[in-house]
Amino acid sequence: MTVLVVIDQSPYGSWRGRESLDMALSLAAFDQPASLLFTGAGVNWLRKGQDPAGISQKAVERNVSAATIFGIEEILADRLSLEANALTLDELVEGAVAVEYSPELVANYLNVVCL
Amino acid sequence: MTSPTSLAFTLVITGAPYSSQAPQTALSFAQAVIAEGHSIDRVFLYGDGVHLASALSTPPSDETNWSLAWAEFLIEHGIPGVACIASALRRGVLNSEEQQRYERSAANLVTPYQLLGLGEWVESIASTSKTLYFHGEH
Repeated sequence: MTVLVVIDQSPYGSWRGRESLDMALSLAAFDQPASLLFTGAGVNWLRKGQDPAGISQKAVERNVSAATIFGIEEILADRLSLEANALTLDELVEGAVAVEYSPELVANYLNVVCL
Repeated sequence: MTSPTSLAFTLVITGAPYSSQAPQTALSFAQAVIAEGHSIDRVFLYGDGVHLASALSTPPSDETNWSLAWAEFLIEHGIPGVACIASALRRGVLNSEEQQRYERSAANLVTPYQLLGLGEWVESIASTSKTLYFHGEH
């Protein structure tokens, strides 16, 4: 069964999201099924065209886009959070899927990790 | 003293001592686990939690030294302690091997912790161990 790694904070303001992503990628690297879910301000991870060079950080967009190549099963975006952040699917990186972040969804996963 | 119903836990600590309650809560939980005859497979420090493995933490003498208290607990019960190497290096928690590799002026990893990768955590997820997380403020 799949582990769900939840990212609920915007990129760049905290290191937590990066360390959450590393957890998901490690699971995939060791052939443990893993999915990513972005909720709250975390949906901003999925925004296309990020440019954090001005604050000496690397864009997380590329890491997220590459996640499925490294074996992450799904890149999920909480539909209500997308609405709250005025984001539409065509503004998101390739492969992101909008879902209802509900107890029913969470029940499908073996383990949920949210740093 | 393990019974057929005894459980094995993995504890993941992501909150730092003195900025969060996570290490204290985790230690109280761990003491209760052992007292009830269950076991702990591993304690994994991740993110800011790696500060718990710094030997240089020096609180005033009338406060608990959580780094020391945790280290003594791990040694007493023979529980492996692992600090994520990527988290630890970024935050200045090094063993002598990494000190030499990166030519730093000191090593400060508390015994008995080891610096290892996230694979250690993945192993807990893949095993029957129950994995619990102790986070800092969120």
